[in-house]
Amino acid sequence: MKDVVEAEKGEIFDIELDVNILEANRKLANENKELLQKNGVQAIDVMGAIGSGKTSLIEKLVQNLKGKYRMAAFKGDLTTTIDAELIARHGVEVIPINTGKECHLDANLVKKALKRINLEGIDLLFIENVGNLICPAEFPLGSDKRIVVVSITEGPYMVVKHPFIFMDADVVVINKLDLAQAMGVDVKKLENDAKTINPKVKVVATNCRSGEGIINVINALEL
Amino acid sequence: MHEFSVTSQIVEAILKEAGKHNAKRVVAVHLDIGKLTFLGLEQVRFSYEVLVKGTILEGSKLYIEEKDGIVNCRSCGYEGGFQYEDDPIYHIPTPTLRCPNCGETVEIEGGRECTIRDMKLLISEDDKTDAD
Repeated sequence: MKDVVEAEKGEIFDIELDVNILEANRKLANENKELLQKNGVQAIDVMGAIGSGKTSLIEKLVQNLKGKYRMAAFKGDLTTTIDAELIARHGVEVIPINTGKECHLDANLVKKALKRINLEGIDLLFIENVGNLICPAEFPLGSDKRIVVVSITEGPYMVVKHPFIFMDADVVVINKLDLAQAMGVDVKKLENDAKTINPKVKVVATNCRSGEGIINVINALEL
Repeated sequence: MHEFSVTSQIVEAILKEAGKHNAKRVVAVHLDIGKLTFLGLEQVRFSYEVLVKGTILEGSKLYIEEKDGIVNCRSCGYEGGFQYEDDPIYHIPTPTLRCPNCGETVEIEGGRECTIRDMKLLISEDDKTDAD
């Protein structure tokens, strides 16, 4: 046998590594996606700032799609189950995910929640992320489509101030359309801002309290 | 945004690897961080300094190479850097998914990595050797 190669005393070893730290979440996200696909479930991630209307949007989507799909929802929140109960009153199964202090859902939390529902019993899953326009973009969950909700009351610069999350969006919902005039916010400008960053993104304006525009969201999601 | 937890995973991975080689000290660490990650380099450096205290990484040099975002256009075949939005409203130039060549939507190919590329280990403590 040949001599073993060893370093001299005090020799510096140059170790080549290829450890991708963010890859762990992406790998879990892919596993979630495979599991959902295997069970024929389409998953939609709903992201957006606190109070933008993510829960109201899901409520309206659930109401409108009730006859067509068997649905469930995961509801990310720091500490409460208030929103989870709002969605559950429409007769769909809701798994609340409390992150405690984390500002986003991650693929591991979604993986755990996926174990708690009967995937064979549903075709459509809404995953409502924690209210935040920054961190959720870094952590894919395994969904098929991602919606970003911005609302008129957040002011005219919401898109340009948080450009990165719009790169990952398939559909942008501009909510609280009824308040545009009172707030002096140009809806078209918000739409153009989103399309500048991501030309293929579909933009829909809604009023999730009255239900205005919900049908356009359904069309944009191809549901 | 998540520099401390990400950096703590980096330090953990390095300690594990250094342990395999019976290293006495880690002299240098080289990271590749993509510009499309949400990791601030200043915060990564700060977290690193805090996290390595009292470990064999203390005193090591941290090199971070910032990797540009790379996009690929399915429409015209362009592969390269992003088109940046030059609207003066952006104090920091913002990348867009518009092809700089044909204007179609591009796919992101690179710029989201956070990789430990390599590291230099000292096997004996007898010599005082600095990293390059």
